[in-house]
Amino acid sequence: MDSNKVKRKRNQIPFGIMVLVFSIIFGISLYYKSKLLPFFWISGLAFGFILQRSKFCFAAALRDPYLVGSTFITKALLISIALTTIGFTAIKYNSYINGQEIPGQNVVISISPAIVIGGILFGIGMVIAGGCASGLLMRTGEGFQTQFIALIFFILGSLWGAHDFHWWNEKFISKGFKVFLPDIFGWFGALTIQLIIIGILYILLDRWESNGNEDF
Amino acid sequence: MNLNNNKYYNKWFINSWPYIAGAVLLSLLQIVTLAVTGKPWRVSSAMAYWGAWILNSFGLDVSHWTYFNIEGGQEIFKGGFLLDPHSIRNLGIIVGALFSSLMASQFRIRKVKSKKQFLLAAIGGLLMGYGARIAQGCNIGGLFSSIASLSLSGWIFGFAVVIGAIIGSRIIVRFLI
Repeated sequence: MDSNKVKRKRNQIPFGIMVLVFSIIFGISLYYKSKLLPFFWISGLAFGFILQRSKFCFAAALRDPYLVGSTFITKALLISIALTTIGFTAIKYNSYINGQEIPGQNVVISISPAIVIGGILFGIGMVIAGGCASGLLMRTGEGFQTQFIALIFFILGSLWGAHDFHWWNEKFISKGFKVFLPDIFGWFGALTIQLIIIGILYILLDRWESNGNEDF
Repeated sequence: MNLNNNKYYNKWFINSWPYIAGAVLLSLLQIVTLAVTGKPWRVSSAMAYWGAWILNSFGLDVSHWTYFNIEGGQEIFKGGFLLDPHSIRNLGIIVGALFSSLMASQFRIRKVKSKKQFLLAAIGGLLMGYGARIAQGCNIGGLFSSIASLSLSGWIFGFAVVIGAIIGSRIIVRFLI
Protein backbone atom coordinates (compact mmCIF):
# COMPACT_ATOMS: atom_id res chain seq x y z
CA MET A 1 0.00 0.00 0.00
CA ASP A 2 2.87 2.39 0.75
CA SER A 3 4.39 2.05 -2.70
CA ASN A 4 0.93 2.74 -4.06
CA LYS A 5 0.82 6.07 -2.26
CA VAL A 6 4.21 7.11 -3.57
CA LYS A 7 3.11 6.40 -7.14
CA ARG A 8 -0.14 8.25 -6.69
CA LYS A 9 1.77 11.44 -5.89
CA ARG A 10 2.99 11.62 -9.48
CA ASN A 11 0.58 13.95 -11.19
CA GLN A 12 -0.85 12.41 -14.38
CA ILE A 13 -3.49 15.04 -15.04
CA PRO A 14 -1.49 16.71 -17.88
CA PHE A 15 -1.43 13.35 -19.68
CA GLY A 16 -5.16 13.04 -19.10
CA ILE A 17 -5.70 16.44 -20.70
CA MET A 18 -3.51 15.38 -23.64
CA VAL A 19 -5.72 12.30 -24.11
CA LEU A 20 -8.78 14.54 -23.98
CA VAL A 21 -7.39 16.89 -26.63
CA PHE A 22 -6.47 13.93 -28.84
CA SER A 23 -9.97 12.52 -28.34
CA ILE A 24 -11.61 15.76 -29.45
CA ILE A 25 -9.41 16.05 -32.56
CA PHE A 26 -9.99 12.38 -33.41
CA GLY A 27 -13.75 12.82 -32.92
CA ILE A 28 -13.81 15.80 -35.29
CA SER A 29 -11.79 13.88 -37.88
CA LEU A 30 -14.30 11.01 -37.68
CA TYR A 31 -17.10 13.41 -38.59
CA TYR A 32 -15.61 13.76 -42.07
CA LYS A 33 -15.70 9.98 -42.57
CA SER A 34 -19.29 9.47 -41.43
CA LYS A 35 -21.67 11.69 -39.50
CA LEU A 36 -22.63 9.09 -36.90
CA LEU A 37 -19.07 7.95 -36.10
CA PRO A 38 -18.35 10.78 -33.62
CA PHE A 39 -21.38 9.65 -31.61
CA PHE A 40 -20.00 6.12 -31.36
CA TRP A 41 -16.62 7.55 -30.35
CA ILE A 42 -18.06 9.86 -27.67
CA SER A 43 -20.40 7.16 -26.32
CA GLY A 44 -17.45 4.74 -26.15
CA LEU A 45 -15.41 7.28 -24.19
CA ALA A 46 -18.39 7.81 -21.87
CA PHE A 47 -18.94 4.07 -21.40
CA GLY A 48 -15.24 3.63 -20.59
CA PHE A 49 -15.24 6.58 -18.20
CA ILE A 50 -18.38 5.42 -16.37
CA LEU A 51 -17.19 1.81 -16.15
CA GLN A 52 -13.82 2.90 -14.75
CA ARG A 53 -15.19 5.47 -12.30
CA SER A 54 -17.83 3.17 -10.83
CA LYS A 55 -15.67 -0.01 -11.11
CA PHE A 56 -18.68 -1.52 -12.82
CA CYS A 57 -17.80 -5.04 -13.91
CA PHE A 58 -20.36 -7.30 -15.55
CA ALA A 59 -18.23 -10.37 -14.87
CA ALA A 60 -18.22 -9.57 -11.14
CA ALA A 61 -21.97 -9.00 -11.19
CA LEU A 62 -22.58 -12.51 -12.49
CA ARG A 63 -19.85 -14.21 -10.45
CA ASP A 64 -19.69 -12.56 -7.03
CA PRO A 65 -22.94 -13.86 -5.54
CA TYR A 66 -21.60 -17.39 -5.91
CA LEU A 67 -17.85 -16.83 -5.50
CA VAL A 68 -17.74 -14.36 -2.62
CA GLY A 69 -21.39 -14.04 -1.57
CA SER A 70 -21.53 -10.34 -2.38
CA THR A 71 -24.55 -9.06 -4.30
CA PHE A 72 -24.05 -5.25 -4.40
CA ILE A 73 -22.92 -5.08 -8.00
CA THR A 74 -25.43 -7.72 -9.12
CA LYS A 75 -28.27 -5.69 -7.66
CA ALA A 76 -26.88 -2.56 -9.37
CA LEU A 77 -26.88 -4.49 -12.66
CA LEU A 78 -30.52 -5.49 -12.10
CA ILE A 79 -31.47 -1.85 -11.51
CA SER A 80 -29.61 -0.87 -14.66
CA ILE A 81 -31.40 -3.56 -16.69
CA ALA A 82 -34.76 -2.42 -15.29
CA LEU A 83 -34.13 1.26 -16.14
CA THR A 84 -32.80 0.42 -19.59
CA THR A 85 -35.81 -1.84 -20.23
CA ILE A 86 -38.17 1.06 -19.50
CA GLY A 87 -36.29 3.43 -21.83
CA PHE A 88 -35.88 0.86 -24.60
CA THR A 89 -39.53 -0.14 -24.44
CA ALA A 90 -40.60 3.50 -24.72
CA ILE A 91 -38.46 3.98 -27.85
CA LYS A 92 -39.61 0.69 -29.37
CA TYR A 93 -43.25 1.34 -28.57
CA ASN A 94 -43.06 4.74 -30.18
CA SER A 95 -41.82 3.16 -33.42
CA TYR A 96 -44.47 0.46 -33.17
CA ILE A 97 -47.47 2.77 -32.80
CA ASN A 98 -46.16 4.97 -35.61
CA GLY A 99 -45.92 1.97 -37.89
CA GLN A 100 -42.14 2.20 -38.19
CA GLU A 101 -39.59 -0.58 -37.97
CA ILE A 102 -38.88 -1.37 -34.28
CA PRO A 103 -35.24 -0.46 -33.52
CA GLY A 104 -32.79 -2.73 -31.73
CA GLN A 105 -34.33 -6.02 -32.79
CA ASN A 106 -30.82 -7.20 -33.78
CA VAL A 107 -30.27 -8.27 -30.15
CA VAL A 108 -33.39 -10.46 -30.18
CA ILE A 109 -31.26 -13.51 -30.77
CA SER A 110 -32.38 -16.90 -32.01
CA ILE A 111 -32.89 -19.28 -29.09
CA SER A 112 -31.00 -22.53 -29.61
CA PRO A 113 -28.46 -24.72 -27.79
CA ALA A 114 -25.80 -22.41 -29.29
CA ILE A 115 -26.65 -19.56 -26.88
CA VAL A 116 -26.64 -21.95 -23.92
CA ILE A 117 -23.31 -23.57 -24.81
CA GLY A 118 -21.85 -20.20 -25.82
CA GLY A 119 -23.07 -18.66 -22.57
CA ILE A 120 -21.52 -21.39 -20.43
CA LEU A 121 -18.18 -21.12 -22.26
CA PHE A 122 -18.35 -17.33 -21.91
CA GLY A 123 -19.14 -17.59 -18.20
CA ILE A 124 -16.22 -19.93 -17.52
CA GLY A 125 -13.88 -17.73 -19.57
CA MET A 126 -14.80 -14.43 -17.90
CA VAL A 127 -14.21 -15.83 -14.41
CA ILE A 128 -10.88 -17.41 -15.36
CA ALA A 129 -9.67 -14.31 -17.22
CA GLY A 130 -10.95 -11.87 -14.58
CA GLY A 131 -13.25 -9.77 -16.75
CA CYS A 132 -15.69 -9.92 -19.62
CA ALA A 133 -15.45 -8.08 -22.92
CA SER A 134 -16.20 -4.56 -21.66
CA GLY A 135 -14.07 -5.21 -18.56
CA LEU A 136 -11.09 -6.29 -20.66
CA LEU A 137 -11.29 -3.08 -22.70
CA MET A 138 -11.56 -0.98 -19.52
CA ARG A 139 -8.69 -2.75 -17.74
CA THR A 140 -6.54 -2.47 -20.85
CA GLY A 141 -7.04 1.30 -20.70
CA GLU A 142 -6.04 1.29 -17.03
CA GLY A 143 -2.78 -0.46 -17.89
CA PHE A 144 -3.46 -4.05 -16.84
CA GLN A 145 -1.27 -6.41 -18.89
CA THR A 146 -3.18 -9.54 -17.87
CA GLN A 147 -6.46 -8.25 -19.25
CA PHE A 148 -4.69 -7.02 -22.38
CA ILE A 149 -3.45 -10.56 -22.96
CA ALA A 150 -6.96 -11.86 -22.34
CA LEU A 151 -8.21 -9.33 -24.91
CA ILE A 152 -5.74 -10.61 -27.53
CA PHE A 153 -6.92 -14.16 -26.88
CA PHE A 154 -10.53 -12.97 -26.89
CA ILE A 155 -9.90 -11.75 -30.45
CA LEU A 156 -8.33 -15.10 -31.36
CA GLY A 157 -11.26 -16.95 -29.80
CA SER A 158 -13.69 -14.73 -31.71
CA LEU A 159 -11.91 -15.58 -34.91
CA TRP A 160 -12.10 -19.28 -34.08
CA GLY A 161 -15.80 -18.89 -33.28
CA ALA A 162 -16.38 -16.99 -36.54
CA HIS A 163 -14.64 -19.84 -38.37
CA ASP A 164 -16.94 -22.43 -36.76
CA PHE A 165 -20.01 -20.20 -36.99
CA HIS A 166 -21.16 -21.87 -40.19
CA TRP A 167 -21.43 -25.24 -38.40
CA TRP A 168 -23.23 -23.82 -35.34
CA ASN A 169 -25.57 -21.89 -37.62
CA GLU A 170 -26.51 -24.94 -39.69
CA LYS A 171 -26.80 -27.30 -36.75
CA PHE A 172 -28.54 -25.06 -34.20
CA ILE A 173 -28.96 -21.31 -34.76
CA SER A 174 -30.94 -21.53 -38.02
CA LYS A 175 -33.29 -24.05 -36.39
CA GLY A 176 -33.84 -21.82 -33.36
CA PHE A 177 -36.64 -19.34 -32.77
CA LYS A 178 -36.74 -15.73 -31.70
CA VAL A 179 -38.96 -14.66 -28.82
CA PHE A 180 -39.76 -10.96 -28.48
CA LEU A 181 -41.78 -10.82 -25.26
CA PRO A 182 -44.34 -8.17 -26.40
CA ASP A 183 -45.40 -10.58 -29.17
CA ILE A 184 -46.62 -12.94 -26.46
CA PHE A 185 -47.67 -10.77 -23.53
CA GLY A 186 -48.37 -7.47 -25.27
CA TRP A 187 -46.23 -4.35 -24.64
CA PHE A 188 -47.58 -3.47 -21.23
CA GLY A 189 -47.69 -7.12 -20.13
CA ALA A 190 -44.12 -7.84 -21.25
CA LEU A 191 -42.76 -4.74 -19.50
CA THR A 192 -44.68 -5.47 -16.30
CA ILE A 193 -43.71 -9.14 -16.18
CA GLN A 194 -40.05 -8.33 -16.79
CA LEU A 195 -39.97 -5.66 -14.06
CA ILE A 196 -41.65 -8.06 -11.62
CA ILE A 197 -39.09 -10.79 -12.42
CA ILE A 198 -36.24 -8.30 -11.90
CA GLY A 199 -37.82 -7.31 -8.57
CA ILE A 200 -38.07 -10.95 -7.47
CA LEU A 201 -34.44 -11.59 -8.44
CA TYR A 202 -33.44 -8.51 -6.42
CA ILE A 203 -35.19 -9.87 -3.32
CA LEU A 204 -33.71 -13.36 -3.81
CA LEU A 205 -30.22 -11.87 -4.09
CA ASP A 206 -30.76 -9.80 -0.96
CA ARG A 207 -31.78 -12.93 0.96
CA TRP A 208 -28.87 -14.88 -0.52
CA GLU A 209 -26.47 -12.27 0.81
CA SER A 210 -27.94 -12.11 4.30
CA ASN A 211 -27.91 -15.92 4.48
CA GLY A 212 -24.24 -15.89 3.50
CA ASN A 213 -23.48 -13.38 6.24
CA GLU A 214 -25.06 -15.56 8.87
CA ASP A 215 -22.77 -18.39 7.89
CA PHE A 216 -19.67 -16.31 8.48
CA MET B 1 -3.76 25.47 -9.13
CA ASN B 2 -3.77 22.51 -6.83
CA LEU B 3 -6.56 20.16 -7.78
CA ASN B 4 -5.79 17.58 -5.13
CA ASN B 5 -7.62 19.53 -2.45
CA ASN B 6 -10.55 20.45 -4.65
CA LYS B 7 -13.73 18.86 -3.36
CA TYR B 8 -15.33 18.29 -6.77
CA TYR B 9 -12.15 16.99 -8.38
CA ASN B 10 -11.89 14.39 -5.62
CA LYS B 11 -15.54 13.53 -5.84
CA TRP B 12 -15.67 13.09 -9.62
CA PHE B 13 -12.20 11.94 -10.58
CA ILE B 14 -10.52 10.31 -7.56
CA ASN B 15 -13.10 8.52 -5.47
CA SER B 16 -14.91 5.55 -6.96
CA TRP B 17 -18.54 6.27 -7.72
CA PRO B 18 -21.14 4.09 -6.06
CA TYR B 19 -22.26 1.15 -8.23
CA ILE B 20 -25.72 2.62 -8.37
CA ALA B 21 -24.39 5.81 -10.01
CA GLY B 22 -22.67 3.66 -12.63
CA ALA B 23 -25.87 1.66 -13.13
CA VAL B 24 -28.01 4.76 -13.71
CA LEU B 25 -25.49 6.40 -16.06
CA LEU B 26 -24.99 3.20 -18.08
CA SER B 27 -28.77 2.97 -18.48
CA LEU B 28 -28.99 6.56 -19.63
CA LEU B 29 -26.21 6.02 -22.15
CA GLN B 30 -27.84 2.81 -23.40
CA ILE B 31 -31.15 4.59 -23.97
CA VAL B 32 -29.42 7.48 -25.76
CA THR B 33 -27.52 4.94 -27.87
CA LEU B 34 -30.70 3.17 -28.98
CA ALA B 35 -32.43 6.49 -29.68
CA VAL B 36 -29.56 7.89 -31.76
CA THR B 37 -28.26 4.82 -33.60
CA GLY B 38 -31.31 2.53 -33.66
CA LYS B 39 -29.21 -0.25 -32.10
CA PRO B 40 -28.32 -0.99 -28.49
CA TRP B 41 -24.78 -1.24 -27.12
CA ARG B 42 -22.74 -4.25 -28.23
CA VAL B 43 -19.09 -5.00 -27.56
CA SER B 44 -17.87 -8.38 -28.73
CA SER B 45 -19.35 -8.48 -32.24
CA ALA B 46 -16.52 -6.27 -33.50
CA MET B 47 -13.74 -8.47 -32.11
CA ALA B 48 -13.98 -11.15 -34.82
CA TYR B 49 -13.46 -8.43 -37.41
CA TRP B 50 -10.34 -7.24 -35.57
CA GLY B 51 -8.94 -10.76 -35.90
CA ALA B 52 -9.96 -10.98 -39.53
CA TRP B 53 -8.35 -7.64 -40.39
CA ILE B 54 -5.12 -8.74 -38.71
CA LEU B 55 -5.15 -11.98 -40.74
CA ASN B 56 -5.94 -9.92 -43.82
CA SER B 57 -2.85 -7.80 -43.28
CA PHE B 58 -0.84 -11.03 -43.38
CA GLY B 59 -2.46 -11.89 -46.71
CA LEU B 60 -4.97 -14.39 -45.33
CA ASP B 61 -8.46 -13.68 -46.63
CA VAL B 62 -11.30 -14.98 -44.45
CA SER B 63 -14.05 -12.70 -45.80
CA HIS B 64 -15.89 -15.71 -47.28
CA TRP B 65 -16.68 -17.16 -43.80
CA THR B 66 -20.41 -17.29 -43.05
CA TYR B 67 -19.99 -15.00 -40.04
CA PHE B 68 -18.66 -12.17 -42.19
CA ASN B 69 -21.59 -12.48 -44.59
CA ILE B 70 -24.46 -11.81 -42.18
CA GLU B 71 -25.99 -8.45 -41.19
CA GLY B 72 -23.97 -6.28 -43.57
CA GLY B 73 -20.76 -8.05 -42.60
CA GLN B 74 -19.15 -7.55 -46.01
CA GLU B 75 -19.49 -3.79 -45.75
CA ILE B 76 -17.89 -3.74 -42.31
CA PHE B 77 -15.15 -6.01 -43.60
CA LYS B 78 -14.36 -3.74 -46.56
CA GLY B 79 -14.74 -0.50 -44.61
CA GLY B 80 -12.07 -1.42 -42.08
CA PHE B 81 -11.52 -0.42 -38.47
CA LEU B 82 -11.93 3.35 -38.81
CA LEU B 83 -15.30 3.09 -40.54
CA ASP B 84 -16.75 0.44 -38.22
CA PRO B 85 -18.89 2.13 -35.53
CA HIS B 86 -18.54 -0.80 -33.12
CA SER B 87 -14.76 -0.82 -33.37
CA ILE B 88 -14.63 2.94 -32.84
CA ARG B 89 -16.85 2.63 -29.76
CA ASN B 90 -14.69 -0.18 -28.34
CA LEU B 91 -11.58 1.94 -28.87
CA GLY B 92 -13.47 4.71 -27.08
CA ILE B 93 -13.98 2.45 -24.04
CA ILE B 94 -10.23 1.82 -23.81
CA VAL B 95 -9.37 5.53 -24.22
CA GLY B 96 -12.18 6.59 -21.86
CA ALA B 97 -10.83 4.31 -19.13
CA LEU B 98 -7.29 5.54 -19.85
CA PHE B 99 -8.45 9.16 -19.54
CA SER B 100 -10.28 8.36 -16.31
CA SER B 101 -7.30 6.64 -14.69
CA LEU B 102 -4.91 9.42 -15.81
CA MET B 103 -7.17 12.13 -14.37
CA ALA B 104 -7.05 10.27 -11.06
CA SER B 105 -3.26 9.83 -11.42
CA GLN B 106 -3.89 6.11 -10.99
CA PHE B 107 -2.65 4.86 -14.36
CA ARG B 108 0.06 2.28 -13.98
CA ILE B 109 1.27 -0.61 -16.16
CA ARG B 110 0.43 -3.65 -14.07
CA LYS B 111 2.57 -6.56 -15.19
CA VAL B 112 1.50 -10.17 -15.49
CA LYS B 113 2.59 -11.73 -12.21
CA SER B 114 3.11 -15.35 -13.17
CA LYS B 115 2.92 -17.97 -15.90
CA LYS B 116 -0.23 -19.26 -14.29
CA GLN B 117 -1.86 -15.84 -14.57
CA PHE B 118 -0.84 -15.60 -18.21
CA LEU B 119 -2.27 -19.04 -18.91
CA LEU B 120 -5.57 -18.28 -17.16
CA ALA B 121 -5.92 -15.01 -19.08
CA ALA B 122 -5.19 -16.74 -22.38
CA ILE B 123 -7.54 -19.68 -21.85
CA GLY B 124 -10.25 -17.43 -20.41
CA GLY B 125 -9.96 -15.04 -23.34
CA LEU B 126 -10.19 -17.87 -25.87
CA LEU B 127 -13.26 -19.40 -24.21
CA MET B 128 -14.97 -16.01 -24.00
CA GLY B 129 -14.25 -15.12 -27.61
CA TYR B 130 -15.48 -18.46 -28.89
CA GLY B 131 -18.54 -18.48 -26.63
CA ALA B 132 -19.53 -14.93 -27.56
CA ARG B 133 -19.36 -15.76 -31.25
CA ILE B 134 -21.52 -18.86 -31.21
CA ALA B 135 -23.98 -17.24 -28.74
CA GLN B 136 -23.89 -14.06 -30.89
CA GLY B 137 -23.36 -11.81 -27.91
CA CYS B 138 -21.45 -11.16 -24.72
CA ASN B 139 -22.56 -9.74 -21.37
CA ILE B 140 -23.39 -6.51 -23.16
CA GLY B 141 -25.08 -7.40 -26.45
CA GLY B 142 -26.30 -10.87 -25.48
CA LEU B 143 -27.33 -10.11 -21.90
CA PHE B 144 -27.69 -6.43 -20.88
CA SER B 145 -28.96 -5.09 -24.23
CA SER B 146 -30.88 -8.24 -25.09
CA ILE B 147 -32.83 -8.47 -21.82
CA ALA B 148 -33.51 -4.73 -21.91
CA SER B 149 -34.89 -5.24 -25.44
CA LEU B 150 -37.49 -7.65 -24.02
CA SER B 151 -35.86 -10.63 -25.74
CA LEU B 152 -36.17 -14.03 -24.07
CA SER B 153 -32.75 -14.95 -25.47
CA GLY B 154 -31.10 -12.48 -23.06
CA TRP B 155 -32.52 -14.27 -20.01
CA ILE B 156 -31.48 -17.70 -21.31
CA PHE B 157 -27.99 -16.49 -22.21
CA GLY B 158 -27.70 -14.81 -18.80
CA PHE B 159 -28.69 -18.01 -17.04
CA ALA B 160 -26.07 -19.93 -19.04
CA VAL B 161 -23.38 -17.35 -18.19
CA VAL B 162 -24.17 -17.71 -14.47
CA ILE B 163 -23.84 -21.52 -14.78
CA GLY B 164 -20.51 -20.95 -16.56
CA ALA B 165 -19.41 -18.49 -13.86
CA ILE B 166 -20.11 -21.11 -11.15
CA ILE B 167 -18.05 -23.70 -13.06
CA GLY B 168 -15.31 -21.09 -13.59
CA SER B 169 -15.31 -20.16 -9.89
CA ARG B 170 -14.82 -23.81 -8.95
CA ILE B 171 -11.95 -24.07 -11.41
CA ILE B 172 -10.10 -21.03 -10.05
CA VAL B 173 -10.72 -22.03 -6.43
CA ARG B 174 -9.16 -25.41 -7.19
CA PHE B 175 -6.34 -23.76 -9.15
CA LEU B 176 -5.46 -21.35 -6.36
CA ILE B 177 -5.56 -23.78 -3.44
